[in-house]
Amino acid sequence: MLFGRNKKNPIKMADKQVKDWKYATCGYCSTGCSIEVGLNEEGKPVASRGVGGADVNRGKLCLKGIFEHELFDSDGRGTEPKIRGSFREDWQTTDWDTALDQTFADIRRVQEKYGRDSVAVISTGQMLTEEFYTLGKLTRGLIGTNNYDGNTTLCMASAVSGYKRSFGSDGPPGCYEDFDETSLLIAWGSNLPEQHPIIYWRMKEAQEKSGFPLIVVDPRVTMLAQNADRHLTITPGTDVVLMNSMMYVILDEGLEDRRYIEANTNGIEELEAEVAKYDPVTAAKICGIDEDSIRAVARQFAGAKTAMQIWTMGINQSTHGSDGVVGINNLALITGNIGIAGGTSLSITGQCNAMGTREWSSCSGLPNHRFLENAQDREDIAKFWNVDPEFFPKKRGMLQTDIYQAMELGQIKGLWLIATNPMTSLPNTARIRRAMEQLEFCVIQDCYADTESAQYGTVYLPAGTWAEKDGVMTNTERRINVVKPVVKPHGNSKPDLWIFNRMAERFNEEGKVNFSEKASDIFLEMGVLSEGRLSDNSGMTHALIEENRGIQWPYTKIQAENGEAPAKGGVRLYTEETTFRYADGKAKLIPLPFIDNNEVPDDRFPFWLNTGRLIEHWHGRTKTGKLGNNNKYSPIPFAEMSPDAAKELGVVAGDYIRLISRRSDAIVMAQLTHRVPKNMVFVPFHFHDCANRVVLGLLDPHSRQPAYKQSAVQIERIADQAGAAKMSMEMRKF
Amino acid sequence: MFKVRQDEPQYAFLNDKESATHNRYGTPIDTVAEQSALRGESLNINADREVGENPNRYKQHGFFFTADNCIACHACEAACSEKNDNPPHIAFRSVGFVEGGTYPDYRRQNISMACNHCDDPVCLKGCPTRAYTKFAEYGAVLQDPDICFGCGYCTWVCPYNAPQLDPVKGQVTKCNMCVDRLEVGLKPACVSACLGKALEFGVVENKPEDRDQAKTNIPGFPDHNITHPNIRFQQTRTLNRDMVRVDSTPIKYHRDDDKGQYESEVDKNALRQRSWGIKTLLNSHENAHAIFTLCVQAVMGAFSLLLIGQLFSITGLAILPEISGFSYMLWVMVAIMGIGLFKLNMHLGKPHRFYRGFYNLRHSPVSREIAGVSAFFGGLKGVAFFSLFSGGWAVLLGALSAALAALGVMVGGYYMYKLYRIKARPFWDHWQTASSFVSTMLTLGALILAFFVLITGNMASLPLLGSVVVVGLLLEAVGLYQHSKDLKAGSGEGQASHYDQTTQFGKSYYLRNGLIVINVLMAIGLMFASDITVVLVIILSLSILVSAYLGRIIFYTVVIPTTMPGAFFWKNKGFVEHARESGLADMQQLGVAYEQHHAFDTVALVKTVKEVFAKS
Repeated sequence: MLFGRNKKNPIKMADKQVKDWKYATCGYCSTGCSIEVGLNEEGKPVASRGVGGADVNRGKLCLKGIFEHELFDSDGRGTEPKIRGSFREDWQTTDWDTALDQTFADIRRVQEKYGRDSVAVISTGQMLTEEFYTLGKLTRGLIGTNNYDGNTTLCMASAVSGYKRSFGSDGPPGCYEDFDETSLLIAWGSNLPEQHPIIYWRMKEAQEKSGFPLIVVDPRVTMLAQNADRHLTITPGTDVVLMNSMMYVILDEGLEDRRYIEANTNGIEELEAEVAKYDPVTAAKICGIDEDSIRAVARQFAGAKTAMQIWTMGINQSTHGSDGVVGINNLALITGNIGIAGGTSLSITGQCNAMGTREWSSCSGLPNHRFLENAQDREDIAKFWNVDPEFFPKKRGMLQTDIYQAMELGQIKGLWLIATNPMTSLPNTARIRRAMEQLEFCVIQDCYADTESAQYGTVYLPAGTWAEKDGVMTNTERRINVVKPVVKPHGNSKPDLWIFNRMAERFNEEGKVNFSEKASDIFLEMGVLSEGRLSDNSGMTHALIEENRGIQWPYTKIQAENGEAPAKGGVRLYTEETTFRYADGKAKLIPLPFIDNNEVPDDRFPFWLNTGRLIEHWHGRTKTGKLGNNNKYSPIPFAEMSPDAAKELGVVAGDYIRLISRRSDAIVMAQLTHRVPKNMVFVPFHFHDCANRVVLGLLDPHSRQPAYKQSAVQIERIADQAGAAKMSMEMRKF
Repeated sequence: MFKVRQDEPQYAFLNDKESATHNRYGTPIDTVAEQSALRGESLNINADREVGENPNRYKQHGFFFTADNCIACHACEAACSEKNDNPPHIAFRSVGFVEGGTYPDYRRQNISMACNHCDDPVCLKGCPTRAYTKFAEYGAVLQDPDICFGCGYCTWVCPYNAPQLDPVKGQVTKCNMCVDRLEVGLKPACVSACLGKALEFGVVENKPEDRDQAKTNIPGFPDHNITHPNIRFQQTRTLNRDMVRVDSTPIKYHRDDDKGQYESEVDKNALRQRSWGIKTLLNSHENAHAIFTLCVQAVMGAFSLLLIGQLFSITGLAILPEISGFSYMLWVMVAIMGIGLFKLNMHLGKPHRFYRGFYNLRHSPVSREIAGVSAFFGGLKGVAFFSLFSGGWAVLLGALSAALAALGVMVGGYYMYKLYRIKARPFWDHWQTASSFVSTMLTLGALILAFFVLITGNMASLPLLGSVVVVGLLLEAVGLYQHSKDLKAGSGEGQASHYDQTTQFGKSYYLRNGLIVINVLMAIGLMFASDITVVLVIILSLSILVSAYLGRIIFYTVVIPTTMPGAFFWKNKGFVEHARESGLADMQQLGVAYEQHHAFDTVALVKTVKEVFAKS
C-alpha cells in the first residue's frame, strides 16, 4: 500500500460557509421538489439541496435544482424599469412610477381607441399562485380584456381540455404514490427521465421494488423507451388510432369493467360504435404499431390489477392533443382505472406552476375552475371581488395561439407579456415576429431583460424571480407548496405581486376592489373561494404548507377544524363512485374519430421533425443558458439524425446542417444516432431562432395547443461550415 | 465535521455491515494493520482536528455503478460540482456514453465516472511533485492542488480521466471521495444525488442491495489490470455487438463472445477524410514537449557523439574539440538546451514551482527525467565553462563535468523515454518511442556537429556525420514501420491513433515519412559526395528539422488514451477544438476554457524562499 507523503498538508475541501438554509419549492418543472437554498454570512445564496423530509423529492434534486441558487444574479437579469417610444428606439432607464403610468396609459388609450379586447395579457406558468390570482382579478375585474391567457396553452392546454371533457373538470386525479401501487404503467409521449427526473426516480424506486411492466409509446428511443418492457414506436400524431384500437380489443374481447362503466360513465354505446372502426389490422397501417403488439398491450393493460397511464407533450403537443388525453381517460374509465391506488390517468405537467395558473389565474374563466359561461360563477366572483357581474364576458376569449393570429391581423394592438417569451416558444417564428412588429405598445414584465421578446417591448418591468418572492405553487400531483423569499429581488426589480398591485392601484380608481399586499393573506382569500369545490384548499395556510413540505388538494377547512392532519401523500380524486364533476356525477366516454391533418413527410420534405426537451435546459434557456454547469451539456442546438440518412446526404457527425421546412430554415449541428428512425430528426426546442423557425404548429381544435412535434423538413449539409458556426452563434446571445 | 441534517434520507447513509478481508486482486481491504500508527489520526479537513467515527474508516471504499440504470441525468456531476464549487470547465465526475444498434433496436449505455481510488494509483506514482497521497482512511487517493505545479502528467497516466488539469488555474484537481461526508457516515454527494439508481458506494467488493454482479468491466471502461481500480459494475442487459463512441474518438467496443466481454477496436465508420490537420497539430497543448524533447535530444546526441569520439578515438569526431571555436559550439548547445528547458518550464501551470519536479524521485519517471536532464545541463555547462580555460585543473573539472553530463544523458535520456511507456496510452507504450528518441539524438546531434564543421571548414568529418544521420534516420524508419504494424494489430486505442494519424493527420504523416526517405538519400549523398555543397547541408538540415518536428507533434497529438468515452458535446475533444476555433468558447457558460500561458510568479517564489530560510 502506497501512502505518499508522511507529513500531510491539511485536506482542503470547498466549504461554502453556509450559515442559513431557507425553504422554497423548485421553480423549474412541475414535479414540485422542496429545496433549501444556503446563504453565507453575507446573505449570498451559495448552495442548494433537496429537502430530506419532503415527500415529493425526499432529498433529491435534478441538475437544474442543484444549481438553482446561481439564478439570482445570473447574466441578463433586469435591474431597472425601462421605457421607449417604439421598439425601434433605444431604451431609457426610468423609475417605477413612470413605467407603470406609461403601461396604464397605453392600455387605457388602446382600449378606448380599439375596444376593450384589443389589448392582450399573456402570462405564464412560472409565477406564484397568489400572483396569478391577483393578475386574474386585475385583468378580469378591472382591465376587462377577454384576450387573457397564459403560455400554458403551449404545454398543458390539451391536458386541461381533455380532463374537462372526460371528467367535467380539470384536475389530475392521481398522485406519485400510484407508482408504488400500480401493476402496469403506460407512458404516452413522456420522456420521464429527461423531463421530470425526480418523478422518474420515484417511478424507478417503485419499479425496482414491485417490478411492474413499463410500456412506452414514443417515436424516439428515449432512455425510458430503451429500458421499457415494451416500446411502441408510433407514427407521429397517430396516438388516438392506437388508443381506439386498444379499446377495440378490450371491448371486443370483453376485457372491460362493465360494472364500473355502467355505474360511472355515459356514452359507452357511441364509443363502441366509433372504436369498432379501429380493428388492429386497420389501425396498424395508420399508427405503425403491428396488430399483434396492439392486441398484446391492450390485453396486458386490461388484465392488469391496476394500471396507470402518464403522458406529457407527446400527447399534448399534437393536433389530437385533447383527443389523446380523452383517449387515455377512456382507456382508464373502461377498465375502472380511475380514483384507485395505482390506477389513474396522470398528466405529467410542465411548468412549476402550470397547475396554479390552471386553478387560479382566471385565464380560462374565473378562479378555481369556475367558468365565465356559467352565470352563477360570474355572479359569485363579481360579488366576492366587488365588481359588476356584467363587466365579465359571458364566454372565454382567445387563447395565446389565437391571440397571436389576431395580432397578425391587427386586431390586437397592445400586449402585456408576463414571464414568457413567445419569440422563442411559439411555432413559426417569422409569423410571431410580424405579429409583434405591428403592436402599438408592448409591456415586457420579466425577471430577465434579455429575453428575445424584449426586443419588441416599449416598457420593461424588471420582475423578481422564483425565491425572491413569496407565495405558493401547485405541482403535478396537486400538491401546493410554498416559496419563501430567500433573497431580495435583484437590483431594483420587484416581485410580480408588487407590480400587479401597483398596476391595480391605477386601474382601481374608485378603490372598490380589494388587493392584499401579503401573499399569505391572498392565499386565505383564495381559500374562501375554494370552499366546497373540487380543488378545495381552505384548510391550508402558508405555515401549515411549509411545515408539511407541501399539501395535496383537497384539504378542507372542515378537515383542518376536525384536527385531521394533512396526508403525507397519496391523495386522489374521484375515489368515490359517481363523483365526477358532470352534473350526474358520471364521466363521459367520448368517441374519437381520427382525421390525419398533420404535415407528413413527402418527396420535397422527406423528414419528420420531432421537437422536445433536454434535461439540462429549461424552456427558452433564459435561465439555464447562463449557468455553465447546466448549459455545457448542450450549449448549441443540434439534431439527432440517423447515420443512414446522414450517409446519403454526405453529413458526418458534428457537421452543421440546415433544416428547411415550408416556413423557414434552422441551423443545427448533426448528432448521428440510431435513436431516431431514418426519416426523422429530433431537435431540442430550447434554442431561440432554431426549431420554432421551422415548426408548423397546427392547433388542436379543443385546446388550441400547437402541434410542435409533427412537421416535415428537408435537410442539407451546409457547404460553408465556418459560416454556419458563426450564423448559429449570432442567432442567440447566450 | 460535516453537518448531518436531521431529515437526511436513509439512502444517503453508508450501509456496509460486513466486508471481505481481501479484494479480488488479493489486496487486503483493511488499508492498514490494526496497530498501525496511521490509525486514529484526524484527516485534518480544512484544519478541523476531529476524527471521524465511521466504523469502516480503514477499509478500502469504492463506487458501484449499475450501468443498466444510468439515464445520463447529470445529477451526480451537478452534485459534485456544486459541492466542490467547480467552474463549468472542471468536472471531477462526468457522464459519457456509448451506443449501438439500429432503430428501434438501439441501446445507449451511459457511464458516470470519477476517480476510482485505485489500489495501484499510477497518478500518485507518476506525479513528480508528490501532490498525491493514498490515505489510510477509506483508501482515498487525494491530491493537493497547492503542491501541484500543473505539468499534467497524472492526466496522461490515469486511464479514467480522473485528474482534471485546469487551464485557467494551471493546476490539477480531482475527486476527493467526499471524505468529509464519509467521516460522518454519509455517502459521497454524487451517489446521494443519483436519480437512476445507478451509482452506489461502499466498502469495495460489497454489493449494494438488489445487485448480484460485481464486474470489473463494462464496454467503454479501460482494462482494470492497469491500476486495479476500486469500482465494480453491474451490467445485465444485452447490448449490441458494436457499441460506438460519439466523442470524435474513432473507437467502438466490440463484443468478444469467447471472452464474454467487450474489447476496444478502431471505428472506421467515422469516415475521416485524409487531411493535414496542421492547425490542430500546431495548437497542441503538448507543443512545449515537442520542442523540449527535440532540443534536449539534439544536444544530448551531439554531446554523446563527441564523448564517444573522444573515448574511442574516432577520427572524424575526435578532432572536433581541437578545432578553434569549439567552445562556442558548446555554448550554442547550452543555448539550445536552455530553449528546450525554458519551453518545458513555461508550459507548466505554475512555472515558478519548477523545483518541485524533483520531489518524487522514488516513484516518478518524470522526476527522474528532470533530475537526469538537469544533471546533463549542469555537466554540459561545466564542460562549456571549463573549455574556456586551459590548464590541468580545467581539464580535470571539464572531465568531471563531462562525466556528470554523461550520467545525465543515461538517466535523463532513459527516463525521458520511460515516462512515455504509459499503459493507458498504447500509442506511446512501444519501443518505437525509444527508437525515435535515439534517432533524434543521432540525426539532430550529428546535424549540430555538421554545422560546426561546415562553418569551421573541416569538411573531412562530414561523411562520418552523414553516416550517423543515415543510421539515425534508418532507425526512425524501422521503428515507425514496426510501430504502425503493431498498432494495427494492437488495442483499439492504438488502432484508432494509427487511424487518426493516417487520416485526420494523414497528409502530414505521409509527408513526414516521405521526408525521411528523401533525407536518407540526401544524407547518403553527403557521405559520398566529392564536392559537398553548403546548400545541400542546409536543405538536408531544414528537411530533417521539419520532419523531426512534424513527427514529434504527431506523436503528441494523435495519442488516444484508454480513457472514458465522452458525450456529444461534453468531454468531446472535437467539440472543444471547434469551440476554441470558432469563438464559441468565449461564452463562459459553454464550459470550454482556452489554453493559457501562466506567468513565472517571481514574487511567489521569493516568498517561498524567504519562508524556507526563515524556518531554517
